[in-house]
Amino acid sequence: MIRPSIVLVALLAVIALLPLAGDAYALRLGTIACMYGIFALSWNIVGGFLGYPSFATAAFFGFGAYTTGVLMTLGASLPLALLATLVASLVGASVLGAVLLRLRGHYFAIASLSLVEVLREVVNNATDLTGGGMGLNIPLASNASILGDAIFYFYAMWIALALTAAMVVAVSASKLGFGLACIRQNETAANMVGLNTTLYKSIAFGLSACFVGVAGGIYAVWVHYIDPSDVFDILYSVKPIVMSLMGGLGSPVGVVCGALVYLGLEEVVWRNYIQIHSGLLGLLVVLLLLFLPHGLVSLRGRLFRRGTGHA
Amino acid sequence: MFRSRLSRRAVAFGAIALAIGAIGGLPSMASAEDVIRIGAPLPITGPLAPEAIKQKQGYDLWAAQANKAGGISVGGKKYRVEIVYVDYQSNTPRAVQATEQLITQDHVNFLFGAFGSGAAKAASTVSERYKVPTLAATASSSQVYDQGYKYLFGTFTPNDTLTTPLTKIVKAQAPDVKKVAILARNDLFPLAIAQEMEKSAKANGIEVVFFDKYAIGTLDHSATLSQIKSLSPQWIFITGYTNDLLLARKQMVDQQIKAPVVTMIAGPAYQEFIDALGPSAENVSSAAWWHPAEQYDGKDIFGKTSEFVKLFREKYNSEPDYGQASAALCGALFQLAIEQAGSIDRDKVRDALAKMDVVTFFGPVKFGANGQINSLDPPVFQIQSGKPVVVFPQAIKQGDLKLGVN
Amino acid sequence: MLAAQVLVNAAVLGCLYACIAIGFSLVWGVLNVINLIHGSLIVLGAYLAWGLYQWTGILPWYVLVLTAPLFFGIGYLLQRLLLNRVITAPVLVTLTLTFGLDLILNNAMIYFFKADYRKLTLVPSLGSLSIGGVVVPVDRVIATAFALVLTGLLYLLLRRSRVGRAVVAVRLDRDAAVLMGVDVKSIYAIAFGLGAALAGCAGVLMALIFPISPLTSSAYLGKAFVVCVLGGLGSVSGALAGGVALALVEGIGAVVVGPSYATTLSFLLLIAFLIVRPQGLLGRKGFE
Repeated sequence: MIRPSIVLVALLAVIALLPLAGDAYALRLGTIACMYGIFALSWNIVGGFLGYPSFATAAFFGFGAYTTGVLMTLGASLPLALLATLVASLVGASVLGAVLLRLRGHYFAIASLSLVEVLREVVNNATDLTGGGMGLNIPLASNASILGDAIFYFYAMWIALALTAAMVVAVSASKLGFGLACIRQNETAANMVGLNTTLYKSIAFGLSACFVGVAGGIYAVWVHYIDPSDVFDILYSVKPIVMSLMGGLGSPVGVVCGALVYLGLEEVVWRNYIQIHSGLLGLLVVLLLLFLPHGLVSLRGRLFRRGTGHA
Repeated sequence: MFRSRLSRRAVAFGAIALAIGAIGGLPSMASAEDVIRIGAPLPITGPLAPEAIKQKQGYDLWAAQANKAGGISVGGKKYRVEIVYVDYQSNTPRAVQATEQLITQDHVNFLFGAFGSGAAKAASTVSERYKVPTLAATASSSQVYDQGYKYLFGTFTPNDTLTTPLTKIVKAQAPDVKKVAILARNDLFPLAIAQEMEKSAKANGIEVVFFDKYAIGTLDHSATLSQIKSLSPQWIFITGYTNDLLLARKQMVDQQIKAPVVTMIAGPAYQEFIDALGPSAENVSSAAWWHPAEQYDGKDIFGKTSEFVKLFREKYNSEPDYGQASAALCGALFQLAIEQAGSIDRDKVRDALAKMDVVTFFGPVKFGANGQINSLDPPVFQIQSGKPVVVFPQAIKQGDLKLGVN
Repeated sequence: MLAAQVLVNAAVLGCLYACIAIGFSLVWGVLNVINLIHGSLIVLGAYLAWGLYQWTGILPWYVLVLTAPLFFGIGYLLQRLLLNRVITAPVLVTLTLTFGLDLILNNAMIYFFKADYRKLTLVPSLGSLSIGGVVVPVDRVIATAFALVLTGLLYLLLRRSRVGRAVVAVRLDRDAAVLMGVDVKSIYAIAFGLGAALAGCAGVLMALIFPISPLTSSAYLGKAFVVCVLGGLGSVSGALAGGVALALVEGIGAVVVGPSYATTLSFLLLIAFLIVRPQGLLGRKGFE
């Protein structure tokens, strides 16, 4: 467990050096990279450790964006709003997790997917608080330069990513992580040996939500304007899955790498193929699943193993 | 067994790597000299895709026309026009990102605004910081322009300039209209215009018996329409995008809901609305910022309105609507401003735009202090015999408002 | 009067929803695959009906004869060539694979057909029936009738034919079916083909009623989800019950609490059903 954590720390440290590159657009991409990293790492707790196919990421993200946004329009400061978002996401998702994670397989997948729909429509209809379909403007007086602003949001997102990574490493090394692995392998058996599976699953769901919520909050402040169909976009639920499949399920280093690779692909495809980028993305997903079902990490592992075999 | 699996994997990986490599091919780079690059972030995919296609048609028509004339002349030298498109997937934050990309990566000289009010507003925070003059072709909400920005200009008048004349003409020609039912898509522009309608109705003594909004992506309006029918309003006012309005109108016919006045915004200005509905589009009224029946003698590259309509028909084989015209206008205005400034310096062009006072094929163009156009009277029109007929303003009127939508 | 009208609307709409969902339900029930490409297949069917009516004037219900085999072939091949390779993989993989396929098909449709909304408008229009003040549009009645016939045919196919019984057997107990000598792979492909054929036919019928655009696929898919969970998986009668239940909830919800809450209600109902009664209105317990 030690070595992957070191790799993860090194990776994060490298990402943190990005502002040296200096370009505001590079920083924007870097901020998105950190955000995707948070998505992938958080999803990995439920999807990788626990083995439940969750599509709830977009729900957490939108929830976080709107909680922070609404609190700030009511006059809260940014740190306070983000802290409140963290706690609210953790508690809210833990409670929901206790109920939803009783379902398995497709049923859980669909319930988590519906969560996105329900939250989106609730926000849409709570016009007085959220502005509904008119969207929400988040006031943040900033007199910093273009670059200063970009660096600020980059580091805000980076810190959230670092915290997520720390949390994930802590979970995987703890009794909780062991319990989650037991549940993934055989839930009934785990239950029978006296593991409080409901509690474990509920905590896992809460932990997988809290930093995604914070990321949503930072994002909302960063873009100044959010509307329900933007932040409760089902693609936010699918992306971390693709990233994790790319990087290798269950491996924190793998999923962060997956997030970076995915972002790179997305950027390149989006930029060069205006009319057909979503189709190309679909093609990549299909190829990946058919030919590399265990992610890019497995490829390295295989080659490596063959190398040692010959030696 | 293991080896063959491995080689299959290696081949697959190679294929993916190749694919990535091919995808990552060089972006098209025109020579930086003698070209004016204008960035256009558009929602080419996602729910707003049909709108993006319209805007793109308008921009392309202008660019083709400008380049056919040898380009834009700046201080005696001709510059070709190139429009750089980026798809923001109907996702507002992505529009912000696209705008920054266009400025910092593609090094565009100027920008067209993103589609609609929400995205245009969000993206304008970026263009303002980089001080890039931006012309928004389809942003009408005054909130977009009330941010104190200096580099943002828009060619749509505020939403109430659509509903006020509409209410006035209905009141004048159909004094029996006492009750109006308003149904709005729960989305930025459709909801905003419905709220303006509610205000206009109340100000003119028309009772609003029904005001509700439907969710984006609603597949069936029959329950809501039955409810409206039971209230028997004389005026039914529905907002949404083309798909919503097609469905709502079809279901009104299905449910045999009739009213003296039925208004829909923003579908009827589009040819596909009329094509898709056939006879049931008859007598549906609407309002828009521009109409092909207008007759202006412009000083811009397109000249007369009829000239623009003819060019558009030749290129796309269809009638232009206000979205396409406004997009083309934005191009033409940049051209005028650049030629006036005699430079492609962003600040000089910005000042030329701010000072602009010119008649175009679209109508007289003059921007208010906040950057929103304030020189236009948007026309009210009605579908009569399968064609949109202007019923207001007086100057370009083609017929009278007919009552009775069956 | 309003109440009667709303109920009649809901009954008709419910049959259409059932028609949208039934292929999806079949694939989910038999293959244990959530087929996210279902919505786009419906739209493709709608384009087929629209195109043929536009250019040759063939009425949509005749197009069904062509659509069913064509889409069956598409589905059969998709399953044989692609899905079969990962059919034993976890839920996540098959789900994500169909998501990728859906991105491809949807993007292709936007590329070739443009995202503009089309509408298949019959000339002359079929009009509406008015019975005692309650109005029912004829095109919906026709679509409903065909939807019922299609579901009836499927029911017969599953119950009476050899292949159909094999499909049902695989759905009930895959391992036992294998022991009985059923070729599971080809049954999977047939079931997926049937699902695709039903999607295509649903699309042809929906073309009469809804505007057509690649962008509507997610709305169809969303309805299919809810209908399946409400009605129970893989059963013909379950889809009908789920469809009508959904339409009733939406219709009554729209009138009582407002149209913008109709979708919220239906998804809340879905989550409630998943938790309290995952087997659906008519389904058997213990089926996953």
